[in-house]
Amino acid sequence: MRRRRATAVAALLALGAALAVVAGAYATTERAAAPTAQTGSDSALIKCGKTRTIGFMAPVTGPAASIGIQQVHWAQYYVSTYNKTHKKTKMKLQTEDTQLGAPTGTAEALKGAQALAGSPNVLGVVGPAGSNEIVGVTKSLMDGGLAWVSGSSTRTSLTTDGTRTGYMFRTVPPDAIQGPTAANYIIKVLKYTRVYIIDDQETYSTGLADEVQSKLRAAGVTVGRDGVSQQQSDFSSLIAKIARDTQLVYIPWQLTPKGIAFGNQMKAAGKGSIKLMGADGLFDSTFAAVGSHVYDTNFPLNPKSKIIAGFKKGHGGDGEYFGAPTYAATQVVATAIDRACKKGTATRASVRAAIRSTNIPAAQSLIGVALRFNRNGDLSTAKKFGLYKSNGTVFVPIPG
Amino acid sequence: MNWSLFFDLTVSGLTLGSLYALIALGYSLVYGILKLLNFAHGDVYMIGAFLGWYALHALGGPMNPTFTGAVVLLLMFIVAMLGCGVLGVAIERFAYRPLRNAPRIAPLISALGVSIFLQNSALLIFGAAFRDYDTFDLIGVKTYSIGQLFFSVPQLLTVVAAIGLMIALTVFVARSRLGKAMRSTSFDREAASMMGIDVDRVISVTFFIGSALAGAAGVMFALVFGQIYHFMGFIAGLKGFTAAVIGGIGSIPGAMVGGLIVGLAESYATGYLPQGSTFQNLYVFALLILVILVRPSGLFGKAAISKV
Repeated sequence: MRRRRATAVAALLALGAALAVVAGAYATTERAAAPTAQTGSDSALIKCGKTRTIGFMAPVTGPAASIGIQQVHWAQYYVSTYNKTHKKTKMKLQTEDTQLGAPTGTAEALKGAQALAGSPNVLGVVGPAGSNEIVGVTKSLMDGGLAWVSGSSTRTSLTTDGTRTGYMFRTVPPDAIQGPTAANYIIKVLKYTRVYIIDDQETYSTGLADEVQSKLRAAGVTVGRDGVSQQQSDFSSLIAKIARDTQLVYIPWQLTPKGIAFGNQMKAAGKGSIKLMGADGLFDSTFAAVGSHVYDTNFPLNPKSKIIAGFKKGHGGDGEYFGAPTYAATQVVATAIDRACKKGTATRASVRAAIRSTNIPAAQSLIGVALRFNRNGDLSTAKKFGLYKSNGTVFVPIPG
Repeated sequence: MNWSLFFDLTVSGLTLGSLYALIALGYSLVYGILKLLNFAHGDVYMIGAFLGWYALHALGGPMNPTFTGAVVLLLMFIVAMLGCGVLGVAIERFAYRPLRNAPRIAPLISALGVSIFLQNSALLIFGAAFRDYDTFDLIGVKTYSIGQLFFSVPQLLTVVAAIGLMIALTVFVARSRLGKAMRSTSFDREAASMMGIDVDRVISVTFFIGSALAGAAGVMFALVFGQIYHFMGFIAGLKGFTAAVIGGIGSIPGAMVGGLIVGLAESYATGYLPQGSTFQNLYVFALLILVILVRPSGLFGKAAISKV
């Protein structure tokens, strides 16, 4: 009897833990409350000094580190270029590792945001990388009066829901542009009629998947839809569900290692001939190496940019394109800090105002268009995403 | 009936089930001897996957292995199994043995503590990034088919190796001197001790074997699914435990059958039930509740007789 009771108790414990995992996977951070009244940090005068500090949030370690490190390199590249060309003022980054995709969810990002909000020298922030992270850190950054410019978060509603207006800006177009770019290519160029879409159950991924799904269905494409947790590495049962006559599987995921595992397991299941398409979250050469049947979409970049050429020279010829818009984000924040600091002191509010009125000409921008923001904080100038196809090793732009 | 889907799901379920069965064996062995639920077992499995990865890279990595793929694989298994075996013995010696005569809740809490300790140690030592086994580069992954039945070499290897290990363990426990000592200790630890059996040694051997099997499962998982990370043991451990309970905790054939049931249930749920891939864990643990309610001692377990 005691044994039976112990077994039942242990089973209930296990069930509780499992439900906690499920709940954790589905717990949305959307509940991040709307910002409350500003604290003193919003209007506190900060002495700018010779060296100015930019808060920087990126997944330096963790499952998304392979793309996070590209953002680190590009942000550092901007800072080192700035410091070489400016004799009177210098910039430095105060980096907070968000560990995007780690089992702890957005906890690390939140800690980072709180650290930056409480740091007296930080005037503006570059990052974070993920849309779900942004939802999680909104309150902390806004309570601290900090504006932030993300170089990769593409979820459309981040800027359109009005929650972050005047605080959040981004140097990439939203999914409302990325989704149609992918869908139009599938419909009009590839002319596929059987597509399977799998999201990774995070806000970034589901939003993009919904966007593409609705466009494809509207065009009469047969679309299968599924979701899989970011924490899962075993995709075999899911892959079994994908019919062998499927022409393309669209996986707008955030974690490159998961994309690679999925691609390899597709091959192991004898479904390696089905085309794969990722989104900006998987724009990495390691994902491209899955095979020449892999497509991807990424932020618009100007391939003729001298900035990109300079970066490549210093990084063994690798453009690390996923991180490139983070250069633009760092450029926006640094320029705004300099403008706000003209008299030697600045407030976070004045830096926010300076970011809002950013106007960097196309000639100085690596995305090929001027950096200007609309009222929501989106670029008013960038209207499309780039399409890429793997050559088996790296992604190559598809002209057009 | 879509037979292609059915066969694909079955192969996937059998592969997963074999892995769960190997993990379940560790739970069953330890529970059989000590009546202890070793919740750190899933994390030992995770450590096994990492040991296999380090062995692979110490042997030249998947692209330029020092030996042939088969030899490298064998060495990876040996390193993972030995390493995990030693780890299991150490866990028993330092976390459970001092609590052997304490109330039953104490070692249970200790087991949870060891689990968290191992997870965080792995995070500290290995980092939070995923690591790739690059099975394609190491052994190549050809897919074979018999009619509509498709399977790959790592999948076949996993099922065959799991069954082989299970048979070997059953024979060991049934026929060997040490196996007999294990059964005696399981039946009545005190009486076994009075009959001259070195109970401490038997318990250590039990932990060694159970942990070594978890190490093998870790390497197999990584070979089939490609990636490992520090948190991978948590949910796998829970499912291994579920398999052990469904099969009848303490029973070796029960662990095997329980593992296969959990693996197949997970696979079929993903394939056939609404939002299956999203809620597969819900379906698996609902199955656990059902079995507990209908047959509390599991499919192969024996109801305990208590004198009143």
